[in-house]
Amino acid sequence: MSDQWTERLSEYLDGDLTESERAALEAHLASCAACAETLAGLRRVLVRARSLEDRPPVRDLWSGIATRIGAGSRQRRFTFSMPQLLAAGIALALLSAGGAWLLHPGSNQVATEAAPLPLARAPIATVAAGAGVRGYDAAVEDLERVLAEGRGRLDTTTVRVLEQNLALIDRAIAQAQRAVAADSANVYLNSHLAETMRRKIDLLRQAAALVSAVS
Amino acid sequence: MTRTRPGPVKLRRDLTSKSDSDAVDATLAASGDAHAFERLYRGHIGRIHSLARRMLNDDEADEAAQDVFVRAWEKLGTFRGEAAFGTWLHRLAINLILGRRERRGVLRRRYLESDAVLDTVPGRRSAPETLMDMESAIARLPDGARQIFLLHDVEGYRHEEIAEMLGLATGTSKSQLHRARMALRQQLER
Repeated sequence: MSDQWTERLSEYLDGDLTESERAALEAHLASCAACAETLAGLRRVLVRARSLEDRPPVRDLWSGIATRIGAGSRQRRFTFSMPQLLAAGIALALLSAGGAWLLHPGSNQVATEAAPLPLARAPIATVAAGAGVRGYDAAVEDLERVLAEGRGRLDTTTVRVLEQNLALIDRAIAQAQRAVAADSANVYLNSHLAETMRRKIDLLRQAAALVSAVS
Repeated sequence: MTRTRPGPVKLRRDLTSKSDSDAVDATLAASGDAHAFERLYRGHIGRIHSLARRMLNDDEADEAAQDVFVRAWEKLGTFRGEAAFGTWLHRLAINLILGRRERRGVLRRRYLESDAVLDTVPGRRSAPETLMDMESAIARLPDGARQIFLLHDVEGYRHEEIAEMLGLATGTSKSQLHRARMALRQQLER
């Protein structure tokens, strides 16, 4: 059964009717059992649509994707010009001095990258909670200074995104530190903290290299 | 450098719980960290594959989902963190899937056919006493109405966004959605 209102039931459900149309339709629904039943059925369709479960593919697709993006055989390429590459190379050489902080004798190590940014999985030593991060803090400070001095050469969107990401990482570090403080013997938590700290170093080093590249 | 980014979208599902770790992984992946990208893949493949399966079909879903992630890898440099990574990836997937369908040359023709087809969609069931599965019922919808239903009711896009994506009038999107819902109601409840 259908009447002039049947075609408007979806708009009613979606809140697309004007106030007067909605009032008129609701008055109609009070006296038309067929439309009321249809509306209830449409609501059930919506509920079922919204409760659909996602499910992964039957076979893992990652290996095919990894092959296509060249993962494992090479890392991502930046499309800098040769002068930019030279500038970035100089920046990375300078930044390796910052990396040296991480290897400072006598302090616990945080990360072991010294030069050109092997961004995929550099080995990470675990870091004990609240200890041995002096070298890390100094390296971060050094890199943040490079970024602060050069941020004027980056466009504002880039700076904003960098700052957002750094804030996210700082938040993650703080969370991980709290977790380690509560369970200092937990190897996973220590590893997670170290990984998160390494990410901050990675991001800062990329940002500093970018500053140099756009100079 | 000119950069493009996906337009704003409204998603039904809350992706914010993963957005922090996704943002970090997206940053790392953009700089070449394939392991970070694999984490993103693991976190989002279910949603992307389900989208591809529903909008295309089982046979094409694997290839389409792979294409989405390969394209995402290539375009990570345009991800600025203004929206959640999941939102950005989802919009990228929608664009790729629609492009794939357009290349098949079915899109517009199916919309034109939809009215006629919808009225004759049979409400068959797999067994007389069993209500039809929702996924199966959606799969049986005419192609154009199915896209609109999926985009609106499952994925949470607005009619204005759908109309822009599909090159339709907003009114067409609304009317097709209503017809799709009515057909589903009929199939699911008879």
